Amino acid sequence: MDSPILLLLARLVALVQCFHDDYHSHNSTRHHDYCVLGAGPAGLQMEYIILERNSGPGSFFNIYPRHRKLISINKIYTGRRNREFNLRHDWNSLLSDRPDLLLQRVSRELYPDADSFPRYLSMYVKELGLKVQYGVDIGKIRASESESPRGRGYILTDQRGLDYTCRVLLVSTGLWDPQKVQFEGSDLVEGYESIPVDPEEYKDQAVLILGKGNSAFETAQSILGRASRIHLYSPSPVRLAWQTHYVGDLRAVNNELLDTYQLKSLDGLVEGGLEDIAIVRNGEDEKKRSGRKKKCRSSGKDKRGKLFLTLAELLDSLDGKNSSKVTATNLPVYHNDNFSLRQPYDRVIRCLGFRFNFSIFDGSARPPSSEGARGRLPGVTAWYEGRGTPDLFVLGTAAHSRDYRSSAGGFIHGFRYTVRAVHRVLELRYHSNSWPAIKLSISQLQSWLLRRVNEASGPYQMFGVLGDIILLRGSHCEYLEEFPLQALPQFSSLSGHQLSKHGLLVLVLQYGLNRTDSLGPGRAESEWTRAWRSNFLHPVLYYYDKLPTERDMRHRPVGWPLPRPKAVHHMIEDFLTEWDGPISHSQPLRRFLEHCLHTDLRAFYAESCFRLSLTNRKPPLFCRQGYLRKHGIVRNSQLWQHAHEAGLMPGGQDSASTDTDPAFPNYLTRAGASVSSAINLDF
Amino acid sequence: MAWFICVVILLLCSKSEQCTTGNASKLIEHTAAHFFEKMQSGKMYFIYFGKQVNPTIGLFIEQLEKSADVLEDYGISVAKVNCTNEHIAKYCTGEKLMKKVYLFRGGNVLKSFDTDTVFDVNAIVSHVLFTVLFDEVRYVHTIAELQSVERAAKGKADIVLGHVQVLGLPEHRALMETAFVYGVKYQFVLTTGGPVLTNMGVEDISSLTAGLWFLHCKGASQHSDSCPHTALRRALTTLHIYTFLQLMEAPLVSEASVEPSEVNMVHSHLQVPLLFLFSQPHTVALDRVTAQTLAWRLRGQVGLVLIHRESPDVKIPLEYNAAYRLPGEGSEVKYLILNNLEEVIDLFRDESTPEEEDDDDNWATLDVLDDEVAESVYRDRAQSLDMDAVTELTADTFHNAVAESDYTVVLFYVKWDAVSMAFMQSYIEVSESLEDADVSDVELAVLDCGEWTDVCSAQKIRSFPTVRLYRPQEPSQPYQGMLGTESLNRFIMLSRLVSPVLLSSPDEVTSFLEGDMYQRHAAIAPVTVLGLFSSTADAGVPVFKEAAKALRGETMVGLFADRQAEIWAVEYSVTLPAILVSRGPTGQTEAHSLNLSMPDQLVTHIQRALLDTFPELTVENLPLYLEVKKKLLLLFVGEEESGRKGNKRVLDDMRSLLNTGLLNPYLPCWIHLGRTPAGKAVLEAYLGFLPLLPALVVSQLATGGEVFHYPTGRPLMVQPILQWLQRVEDGEEPPAGVIVDEKWMPSMPFYDFLSVMDQEVPGYASQRSAKTKTNRIERAEGEKEKSSSGGGERQARTGAHDPQGSPTTKPPQTSHHHSEL
Repeated sequence: MDSPILLLLARLVALVQCFHDDYHSHNSTRHHDYCVLGAGPAGLQMEYIILERNSGPGSFFNIYPRHRKLISINKIYTGRRNREFNLRHDWNSLLSDRPDLLLQRVSRELYPDADSFPRYLSMYVKELGLKVQYGVDIGKIRASESESPRGRGYILTDQRGLDYTCRVLLVSTGLWDPQKVQFEGSDLVEGYESIPVDPEEYKDQAVLILGKGNSAFETAQSILGRASRIHLYSPSPVRLAWQTHYVGDLRAVNNELLDTYQLKSLDGLVEGGLEDIAIVRNGEDEKKRSGRKKKCRSSGKDKRGKLFLTLAELLDSLDGKNSSKVTATNLPVYHNDNFSLRQPYDRVIRCLGFRFNFSIFDGSARPPSSEGARGRLPGVTAWYEGRGTPDLFVLGTAAHSRDYRSSAGGFIHGFRYTVRAVHRVLELRYHSNSWPAIKLSISQLQSWLLRRVNEASGPYQMFGVLGDIILLRGSHCEYLEEFPLQALPQFSSLSGHQLSKHGLLVLVLQYGLNRTDSLGPGRAESEWTRAWRSNFLHPVLYYYDKLPTERDMRHRPVGWPLPRPKAVHHMIEDFLTEWDGPISHSQPLRRFLEHCLHTDLRAFYAESCFRLSLTNRKPPLFCRQGYLRKHGIVRNSQLWQHAHEAGLMPGGQDSASTDTDPAFPNYLTRAGASVSSAINLDF
Repeated sequence: MAWFICVVILLLCSKSEQCTTGNASKLIEHTAAHFFEKMQSGKMYFIYFGKQVNPTIGLFIEQLEKSADVLEDYGISVAKVNCTNEHIAKYCTGEKLMKKVYLFRGGNVLKSFDTDTVFDVNAIVSHVLFTVLFDEVRYVHTIAELQSVERAAKGKADIVLGHVQVLGLPEHRALMETAFVYGVKYQFVLTTGGPVLTNMGVEDISSLTAGLWFLHCKGASQHSDSCPHTALRRALTTLHIYTFLQLMEAPLVSEASVEPSEVNMVHSHLQVPLLFLFSQPHTVALDRVTAQTLAWRLRGQVGLVLIHRESPDVKIPLEYNAAYRLPGEGSEVKYLILNNLEEVIDLFRDESTPEEEDDDDNWATLDVLDDEVAESVYRDRAQSLDMDAVTELTADTFHNAVAESDYTVVLFYVKWDAVSMAFMQSYIEVSESLEDADVSDVELAVLDCGEWTDVCSAQKIRSFPTVRLYRPQEPSQPYQGMLGTESLNRFIMLSRLVSPVLLSSPDEVTSFLEGDMYQRHAAIAPVTVLGLFSSTADAGVPVFKEAAKALRGETMVGLFADRQAEIWAVEYSVTLPAILVSRGPTGQTEAHSLNLSMPDQLVTHIQRALLDTFPELTVENLPLYLEVKKKLLLLFVGEEESGRKGNKRVLDDMRSLLNTGLLNPYLPCWIHLGRTPAGKAVLEAYLGFLPLLPALVVSQLATGGEVFHYPTGRPLMVQPILQWLQRVEDGEEPPAGVIVDEKWMPSMPFYDFLSVMDQEVPGYASQRSAKTKTNRIERAEGEKEKSSSGGGERQARTGAHDPQGSPTTKPPQTSHHHSEL
């Protein structure tokens, strides 16, 4: 997307080569300024020297999703040609400065085939000339002990014992380790990663799936036409993405089972803890005496016995915990005759998601487990640096702990922006290039904000996480895009920009209170004064006169991305996400900006500016920044007529006639009365 | 020592300050003898004993004098005693500065005040009346105190409860003045805040500085808890309170059998709107109930009239069930259909309080666009722009388009920018006019940055609208002139000429200067600039060429580098290199020696040379002249009447004034009010009225901000004007007006979402307290789980299916139970 990445890349590659030559001769260590571990989407988005254990990029996608359909949308037709806007509806493509380097070149499907993604990544690597070293399997990462002048750095050891010394390590290894839960009989459970994907294998089988996420439902959906009964079991109820606005929750594309459940077609969802259950296989002896004999026989040629779900504590009476000795009293149905999961299963499948591979990190280099997300992810700072591991950054889906279950940081369409943010942090920290900023005159701020609000994809995808920062500087401002909001207290040191006494604005897109039925009445607001109750994604502006502190950040109102500001402005949600209405969007925004900037931001025709410039020591800002620079907006006869009819301009009878029109309050003509006369009319 | 005897005329007047007549102060100065005599009269006196006067005491005495007029209306004489001359024991104390004022009744001191307490008229009047009415006005602080007053008043009198945060302010005075007049009729109660207000339904006690409630106790039964009350929803002034009390006396609902326009009620005189409900015989009982309910809700704001529809005098279209009439002479009755009570109440909230900008319910009026550009574009929204006249570029066509045409003008715009869209109309007009003029080498194009965002980013467009001229193989040139048809047209026409025009012979030079060479261009840009150099080898030539390039589109620039340039140098007595500025065939030609430096400095130099010495200010050129930052000597001339050449004579006179060289500190200029109507508003703003034309004004726009008006009637001739200017310089002329130097603050308040949140969902927008410090993510998760799990059902099922009593197995714990949701 932005060329600095590429420029930096070119420089880095050169650097890498040079170090390579220097050091290769006298030992087996390779020195790099930047190492990216993993050539998945996040690693490629970073574009430095990339170490990849597999033979191609994005190898995760060679296996997953198992049923080979991506659920990230690849919407080719949006009715718009704005590239930035279209990225709002392209969840697979990576950012680059090539306008056509998009997934749609590889697949035309809305939900593309999973194979197309590694294909796309290969194309991306090739066309951008990224340097990826394949076949380098890093097994050990430790912090460098010697404090070199350039920082401590990390040492990576690969399968051949080769060391790579990296000043900055960018870990984009993704989430590979299947999340497992230990319970009695968990060895009887198959994993999502290894189950057969041919539905015929499940013919007339009863299947219990542990988990209620997308992989669980994806698995269920693929066998729906073959399996006899599919039950999904996990602690929490299913969360629907279209209700929670979180794309990691169950997507409608996978939810056919909800239909068969609710229409009582033999499938179902059950809630319960995972740690306390047990899976037992019924033994031969049991078959003989139990009334279920017939049923068991009917499951055909499968040699394995049936699997029962029971509770660990019901097995307490068993000494050796040998499943063959399971008796009826060890099963819940004995105690509870309508226990939901009382029927046996042919298969139990674990679909519990994945966790970060902490094992390759030596204690000195290991980021801590995240507080959220059940500790499956590494804990990182708001700028994605590992907590306690300086110069080690976590990129991509593994960095999702910052916005777990709230935004899109765990998904390509989200982390492609956070990776770019990390890149900007690195630019400042290691190359003294401050965060890119655009200088705008204040009279242009409103238009610019509307432009971002109407097209920007970063804040739209990473809602509540990345926001545009506007540094107010009096008659002009500086506009910084897509800064990580949680890092706002460290803004100056991360961006290289200082705040002025005029304060700052933050533009965020966010969902609303979400307290209503997603499809019920009253789900959307349309009156702009009720914008703060908007439920759908809508722009919100926060105004601070000084940077919030970390303390402010910690104590921010519940559910808010930022602390309570001096003033806040919600732009009313829009059905079409087009925020350009003069009455509902522009004018309220202008009034908010006027309040923050303490100035009148209205536009005036040149004729008005002429009058105001001669009758005021300092005319309004719009006249100063336009008209007085010989750049005023001259009336066109038709528009002039309109403005007159509206009573907005004084002059002869026109203004008098407005007095009689109660629809237009008197204060609107106030602009005309700006000169006070000291003359005594009596003389 | 003279005695002045005060004649007390008790004017019982609620609007006190307007009621006194005459200008002489009513403050009397007493001698000791008179003082003692008056003390016996039984009247009330408010007397200050003083000796020396410092500034503070001086101010106090001034206020005391003013209060004398007011207090006279209440039968209280105000006096002072000069203790230097008189000695009155007890009161004339030894200090030099005495700071006590006493209120006497029949020789006794009712109360003494410190001059700091009774610092101005309002404080004096309010405190004095408060003392006088001590028995009538009850002061309450707690709810219990108020309730006891209420109990006593029930069935007997209504209560007027006033609240002022601070005593001695105008609100307090208004309240006391009203109490003085109505004290017999109503029980007055005063509070200064606290729990009583909460009882009245005030949410934020600290922000309410003053308020007034009418407690309808007279009709209340002894058994009811408290009397129903109505709040005064306006500022506490005597007039408002008076109106309010009148309204409280008016019947809750009146009934009439005439047309609404015929109804005459006290409300009309009190500037209060009337609401009419139309009743039919079979629903009249219900309608009365409705009317009563409404009337209670709107009491004090709107008068309610029930009109009996069946009366032959009433001819109201059947579809309407209500109507209202705003106060004011001849205001019309507006008919409407109302479906519920809230609608009616909302209607009046908006209609009856349009002047209260801070009224929360009044945001609807904010939906009126108050930006003249936005409003005019919005009003034009039904008209679709004729985009056929311009080329709409896209990311795909942009690069080819600007490479192909000799001249491509591109307007970069966004749809939501009103200025862009206003200019778009002019832009299309220019395109059409170029087409009409058969200009074929210029392509006018537009590019929507809302759609082709990459192009705009790549072109580094930072403001909207931006206009650029593209020529193949040349860097693009920004258009920095006025965003109007005429300016843009001129820019395009002039841009098509090479700059500078290289002239090769004296004939060409003459032709160029007189505008013959480029007649078509001369018509739109009569001022031309010619650079004169003695030879092409002159080092200044490249610099001049560079500057001329920069001025392309702005002015026609010629270059004559030849020995023969000396002819003009001699003629205009300058040394080469020089520039000639020609103001067209009828105008003058001036010469300036060139100070050759950097091209951009030369550009500024030429631009300055282009300025007229006695310009006609127009909307378009004013910015050029304001840059000079001189005081304006501004002549306003009007439309020329047929046959009279007044303007020309005056302008010529002014020109001859220029030649005196005495006008250096000024920029002499003129505005033709016919051609520049906006000038009228300027003149009116300067003077407060429209004087006879021509009018001469000095406007110190850049310095001081004062405006001076050359006396009407005095001849506009060189000598008198110079004399007048001298007097202005010397500060002997009184300014006729002042140019304001105010910051342009927001024209309207913004909609404060934070306070709305605080009000509607308390705590939603508050920072968490230190104790509840929790990780946001965890918390959010917890909430979601809680809200969606419906735990109750789970529990219930568990209880219902207790194990059948196996002695060896303990029942599964709640957390182990599985339930189907």
